[in-house]
Amino acid sequence: MDESIEAALKNAPCSALDIDYVIVANMLAERVNGQAQLGALAASLLPHHPPALRAEAACASGSVALHTACALLESGRAETVLVIGVEKMTDASTEAISAGLMAASDAEKEAPTGLTFPGIFGLITNRYMHEYGLTRDELNLVSAMHHKNAVENPFAQFRTAIPAEKISKSPLVADPLCLLDCSPISDGAAACILSTKFESPIKLAASALTTDALSLTDRATITSFSATKDAMERALAEAEITRDMISHIELHDCFSTAALIALEDMGYATPGHGISLYKEENPNRTLNKSGGLKACGHPVAATGVKQVLDIAKQLTASKKQYGLAHNFGGAGATCCITVLENTL
Amino acid sequence: MTNTPSITARAQKSRVHKTQDGVILSFTTVRHPPEGFSPAPRAIGLIELQDGSKVMGSLIVPSELTLAIGMRVKPRMRLERINAEGLRIYDIGYELLAEKPVSTEKFNGYILALTGPSGVGKSTISKLLAHKVSDYVEKVPILTTRAAKEGDGDEYLYISQEEFSALKKKGEIVAATQIPSKTEKRWYGYRSKDIEAIWQHGKLPVVITEMHLLQGLSEHFGRRSILSCGLLPPGKSKRARLSALLHRLRTRGRDTEEHIKDRIKNAEADLDFFRERKELFDHLIVNEDLETVTTTLSGHVLELVKA
Repeated sequence: MDESIEAALKNAPCSALDIDYVIVANMLAERVNGQAQLGALAASLLPHHPPALRAEAACASGSVALHTACALLESGRAETVLVIGVEKMTDASTEAISAGLMAASDAEKEAPTGLTFPGIFGLITNRYMHEYGLTRDELNLVSAMHHKNAVENPFAQFRTAIPAEKISKSPLVADPLCLLDCSPISDGAAACILSTKFESPIKLAASALTTDALSLTDRATITSFSATKDAMERALAEAEITRDMISHIELHDCFSTAALIALEDMGYATPGHGISLYKEENPNRTLNKSGGLKACGHPVAATGVKQVLDIAKQLTASKKQYGLAHNFGGAGATCCITVLENTL
Repeated sequence: MTNTPSITARAQKSRVHKTQDGVILSFTTVRHPPEGFSPAPRAIGLIELQDGSKVMGSLIVPSELTLAIGMRVKPRMRLERINAEGLRIYDIGYELLAEKPVSTEKFNGYILALTGPSGVGKSTISKLLAHKVSDYVEKVPILTTRAAKEGDGDEYLYISQEEFSALKKKGEIVAATQIPSKTEKRWYGYRSKDIEAIWQHGKLPVVITEMHLLQGLSEHFGRRSILSCGLLPPGKSKRARLSALLHRLRTRGRDTEEHIKDRIKNAEADLDFFRERKELFDHLIVNEDLETVTTTLSGHVLELVKA
């Protein structure tokens, strides 16, 4: 957390003392690290102990923290808010992490069957393949592209390219998903500062938060997430742009199928055709340039903040105007889409 | 706090609810089940129960069966796990039944499909049908890349080859086929939005189709969505049927002799198709007399409307 705060302040036009609120995104700390009250913990890293709170929405915690910061800024309660996403996962055993992550599903309808999160996405992938005829070889392209992108990202957890054919040769986790279809267990922290007082060339143009039924059993379909559809519609309306104006996208690819479903739900491909964007790259739009959750890493609550930072970096480098981060929790029960605008 | 009366009552209610037969909507095998469960790979399914609700449940797969979407299952109480205190926890699992998988596609509505070789009278029949039960049916336009011809009704929407490919790539065309012909390259297809629009009007879409389009529709909307009628020309043998077709094609005077040759060649394959793919047809109707055929069909339409 300390490092991420330092990095955020280094790039900001304000000092630590200008921060009048801190929001920490975190999912697993009390369960896995035995630490709650992360708000106070984070605030104590600043010299003046500003007020702080913690946001939790499983994997969407990061973007939900950003959304909460927007609410504080819009209401006038705060002028400069520090948002930190943090997760420390590698200290605990894989079993403890799996059980912790499973808390993002429905504790009565899903968890008692012995499902794990890869299992939930195994169900989704199997159904997706059944409905749309996606092949295992096609699915390999998703992780392969994310790994290829991560080579260029010094912050990525895995900076190695992996050929597509190797993805499906990795051990099965929850068929048809293999190990290399799943985002890893990661440690990470990401921080950014939102302000209505200080100017930055990168502006937050929209933050749209939506929810859906927690359990897959309560949804009409499992091959599309209505929370993503709603969030996209609201985000575009809030930013007053069309989806074609977006030049960089960071997708929530916790499992490779999730990236395809997200592209379809956001309207970049028709249902069942998300894979076409991995077969032919669009020169005007980048997808998961950071390596995505798969290769850059998925420190659960840090991800939402990290994605937004990646979009900001990509916009600054490319001098394009708009970029979008898509972040969801669980199997799409919470979705938050953040649109950034480069005003330079 | 997991044994308060309200939690116990909810658990009992949920168990009663889960005790129903169902169909597998999707399944997976978790290779590393969570702590407390047996370490062996664990098959879990998303199951649609008879009452239309969905549940997650562990699957019991008899060794002679392989898991597939659409397979039927029956509930069975089974030991799920033993907790840290040694308590044996039972729950409803689902055992696979050795029956043929059923379609689990989303059901949007019915489609009436008329299939048959060219010249058998599909267009005439659909026109008469539209007249007879006009409140209930609407024809689905056929997208085609061929040029408009004299004698064509209003059943075609003419588009260019490029437009057709673009729509197909976008996934807007649900069934497409290329009908072989010596003289030109012709594509035919249906747009899902045309069919969905008719459902929204509360009417029954009628498609005039051929074997490839019928298969495409059946794959897209699910076989049970389609009331499929095969139209046969009169005649006892294949030769007699083909000659009846030839006679009709010549007398209607819409095609050149070259086209007719093509059409007869395709018709032969169509007639074989009725025999080879029996499961794709609900009714096979011989078009001996238009009145009888339209009466039979409007009977089917009214049955569907009532359903």
